[in-house]
Amino acid sequence: MRLTTKFTLWYFAIMLVVLLIGGAIVYYEIQWKLGEVEVARHQRLNDLIAQQIRDGGDYTGQPTRRRATVMLLPADSVPKGNASFYTRGLAWNPEFQTDEYKLMVTSFYTIGGAHYRITTYSFIPSFYQLLPGVVDSFKWILLVLLVLVIVSGGLISKYILAPFKRTMRAIQRFDLKQKEPIRLPETKTSEFQELNTFLLQLTESARKDYQSLKEFTENASHELQTPTAIIRGKLDLLMESDIRDEQAILIAEMQNALERLSRIHSSLTLLTKLENKEYKSGEPVCISNLARETLAAFDELIQMKEIGLQVHIEKGVYIPLHLSLADLLLANLISNAIRHNEPQGAAKGLIRVELTHEGLVIVNTGREPGIPTQELFERFRKGNSGSDSIGIGLAIVRQICELSHFDIEYQYSSGLHMLAVSFLPKVPASKLLQNLSLPLA
Amino acid sequence: MLIVEDNQELARNIRDYLGREGYICESCETLEQAKGKVTLFQYDCILLDIGLPDGNGISLLNYLRAEHKDTNVLIISARNALDDKIIGLEKGADDYITKPFHLAELHARIRAIYRRKNLGGASIVEFNEISLNTDTFEIRVGDALLDTTPKEFDLLLYFIVNKNRVLSRQSIAAHLWGDYTDNLANFDFVYQHVKNLRRKISNAGGMDYISTVYGLGYKFNSHLGG
Repeated sequence: MRLTTKFTLWYFAIMLVVLLIGGAIVYYEIQWKLGEVEVARHQRLNDLIAQQIRDGGDYTGQPTRRRATVMLLPADSVPKGNASFYTRGLAWNPEFQTDEYKLMVTSFYTIGGAHYRITTYSFIPSFYQLLPGVVDSFKWILLVLLVLVIVSGGLISKYILAPFKRTMRAIQRFDLKQKEPIRLPETKTSEFQELNTFLLQLTESARKDYQSLKEFTENASHELQTPTAIIRGKLDLLMESDIRDEQAILIAEMQNALERLSRIHSSLTLLTKLENKEYKSGEPVCISNLARETLAAFDELIQMKEIGLQVHIEKGVYIPLHLSLADLLLANLISNAIRHNEPQGAAKGLIRVELTHEGLVIVNTGREPGIPTQELFERFRKGNSGSDSIGIGLAIVRQICELSHFDIEYQYSSGLHMLAVSFLPKVPASKLLQNLSLPLA
Repeated sequence: MLIVEDNQELARNIRDYLGREGYICESCETLEQAKGKVTLFQYDCILLDIGLPDGNGISLLNYLRAEHKDTNVLIISARNALDDKIIGLEKGADDYITKPFHLAELHARIRAIYRRKNLGGASIVEFNEISLNTDTFEIRVGDALLDTTPKEFDLLLYFIVNKNRVLSRQSIAAHLWGDYTDNLANFDFVYQHVKNLRRKISNAGGMDYISTVYGLGYKFNSHLGG
């Protein structure tokens, strides 16, 4: 739930409570005020009647006497102190033929030695008649408030939360690899200032850690290269000397290990360079020609392993990729397909390369990988732990694809390894695999 | 030959290997020393390390150009950086090799530069009855033309340049497939290529100069039986 919605709902709940209490107060206030005004009116009327009595004369037909009762009282029954009082309650209204709320004001006067009790009454609207009016008006008030709260809530939160949203955007754009510290928007709200300070420190330390780790890796790999070169040279020289067979085996094993070391090394260096985005794509490269050249370069190996090759390459496919990376991508994928190729039963091994404007699909026969296919993109993950490979070729392929925003998908089913790279951002690589016409013949 | 390399061990490896091939090698460790030497002496080839203690090896290339010295330069770099390669070759270097390299590979590169620059148009490499044309990639044994693939041509050239040397399978694989050996360290391919090459040469009546060295690799023997 959005923050604004939450605030609005809370405000609404509070408003409801306040309006209920307010409604009750208003209701009783009106009730009381109505009574008070009415009592004052009757008091004045009583005073007027008393004045008429004082003046003498016949006023019985007067409209003032219509709802007035004038009584002469014996002196002893005149109450002390109170000159007037009022009562109210439900009573029969003969005019409207219904029970109505009746207000009755009684006043006592002494005129010319005689004691008079003057009582006047009238019917006023009752509680129950007022209630719907009060409820109705509060309903409207509530509605207006609600609309105002929703509208202003949206506007105000937009204004108040603007720095927060800018910070969020800055954080989303943050990349560990970036060279500059993150830039957070200025704000006057102290909470957001606190948040920004905290985020700044956090990202800064993460960035510095990443940088130093990267520098360490780069330095270590650079420093490793010279000793490796020395050892390799010494072994080359040692091979030339007069050695026994068992020594030759030892040297060969050392060379194998050294070869691995240097391969791991150069692959890791390459990955680092890819991550550092050292390869900027310039002109789009014609991958159609490149694919044909790569296949030609591997032709001998394909023939040597007696692998059947099916090629379908559309002409003039251009992709935005650095030439060396495009080369590397194809070489890695095709050499992988050759290297892990195994015949299926009696049938020969097979490689199919399909290149269209949408993407590249490479299918080859092979043994089932020991791990899920997506994990093969991880570094040092191998489908077949016994193999000679170091398990970094596909990690490089994935890195290249990520750099160029190509989608990549690897699937295995019934003896076929299928790998697809989609060049178009809108086409997922898995779709290329669905369109694949199987079985291969 | 001048070796400009700040690591003495590496320089000695190169000196030892090339010394056995009959090259006269000198080495120095800094850019300053290298400048002094190229001013005083004439070298056929300079092996130049890019990362030197007193500066970038590229500046020696600039210096050589400014002094109008026509010396072959082979760049040795620890960094497999594309920029180094492009800049180096633009500034007049003849070739580029990345550490760690096989000494046999280095030797083959030096010979290739030498052939290109110093032998002018003559691009025939001959050994006894075998001759290789590096322009047309043709191998002849006596008068017979061998039907070989480009890889087999490369392989034989590599053998002949490094004759009487033990060539490890790794070194051969690296030479033939270069950067791609990352994924193709399958030495069966090397075996296949060597086998095919030997068969083709002997079918054409050539001598079988190539022998297997137990455990290590192969060797091209110039003195059979010796």
